Amino acid sequence: MQSPAIEVKGMVQKRSHFELGPIDLAIPRGYVTAIVGPNGSGKSSLFRCLLDLAKPDRGEIEVLGEKQGAFDNWQMKARIGYVPEENSSVYDHMKAEQKAAFTRQWYPQWDINRYQELIRRFEIDPSLKLRKMSKGMRRKFDLILAMAHNPELLLLDEPSSGLDPIAWRTMIDVIHRYMESGERTVLMASHIIDEVRRLADYIVFIVHGRVLGMYEKDTLLESWSMLYADTAGSKEQWRSMPGCHSAEFAGGSTYKVVTSNMIESEEWCRARGIHILSKQRLELDDILTAMIEQERLRIQS
Amino acid sequence: MWIPIQLNEQSAEPMYHQIEVQLRALIVSGQLAEGTLLPSIRELAQTLKCSVITIRRVYQDLENEGLLRTKQGTGTYVAKVGDEMRDIHRRSSVIEALEAAVDAGVRVRCSDEEMMEMLRDILQRRRNANGT
Repeated sequence: MQSPAIEVKGMVQKRSHFELGPIDLAIPRGYVTAIVGPNGSGKSSLFRCLLDLAKPDRGEIEVLGEKQGAFDNWQMKARIGYVPEENSSVYDHMKAEQKAAFTRQWYPQWDINRYQELIRRFEIDPSLKLRKMSKGMRRKFDLILAMAHNPELLLLDEPSSGLDPIAWRTMIDVIHRYMESGERTVLMASHIIDEVRRLADYIVFIVHGRVLGMYEKDTLLESWSMLYADTAGSKEQWRSMPGCHSAEFAGGSTYKVVTSNMIESEEWCRARGIHILSKQRLELDDILTAMIEQERLRIQS
Repeated sequence: MWIPIQLNEQSAEPMYHQIEVQLRALIVSGQLAEGTLLPSIRELAQTLKCSVITIRRVYQDLENEGLLRTKQGTGTYVAKVGDEMRDIHRRSSVIEALEAAVDAGVRVRCSDEEMMEMLRDILQRRRNANGT
């Protein structure tokens, strides 16, 4: 087993209005991991800690096998690409090509051909001043700057915000191709369900500064289901069904049941002679909502 | 290359299983000839909108069955399928379909004779329709 691309142990960051952590997380190499969570759950703060742009109060962070935060390790940072949630206005007066020339200095691995290829694919006019760029165009350019040195690790904080559907597709394709070698790692925060579905191999749910869990995407999507079940009149203890999240009366002798463990729930129903009338997989946002509910109940109890 | 695999997202069958069954059928039936280079794991995952973990599992299973072989650095290829293996697989998908049909019959309490008769009927009709 390869060492993880990112390892976070017992990390806590305290702010007057928000506490992030304690977070324990291992992001595997060679995969796309998506961080999913509601606004203000600490995704961007986590990214900043990973890059040593902010310091955690406790805990350890290792990135690409090296401890983060001990000193300004620029060699390690040169192996990373980062698209922050919001771009800085400091460079607004520069033309795109000037910003690229500036950024290039910090990355020995900068690949000019790769840069040109991405400029063409995303249809960016490099003679344009950054101030003149639309939000989406600026976003595409930020992504190009983050990828032109073929980083081992790509950190993307809401990469697609502002992108039109065509640019969005290009981005998905570019990231897929980037991952093709199997050695590289992407960690991305995203609200866009379709983006997570298309790109992610693993999903991490973060809510209120805490990690609810890390899941293999297909397994997660296959295990959460909503089913209508006919009990033929008998009273059922739905709470004892494996993975039961919720059960509500749906008229007649039918119940609408949400489970996080489809296979065992089905066996449980079969053993009791409960007839499953229909079943439907949950979408990611439904799963997230259900998990947030569970977390709230857990905190209350 | 494009591989004709279709996923049913609402099916109870796990995705890896759906992909594995279809890919196996394509290989065993000869639709994917010996030596065909399959898409990379990431590429097929992208096409089918599933994770690379799922595709890796499928490739690994089929490699263990001897239907695929992986050459380090170049990719995954369709292996030579022996006649015996082809025959086992040829029959297994039919047996699976018949089992499903029998289950359906048992559910509505068909007798054995009834079911045999239906099978003969269907065979007859299909043969006539195809003129064989």
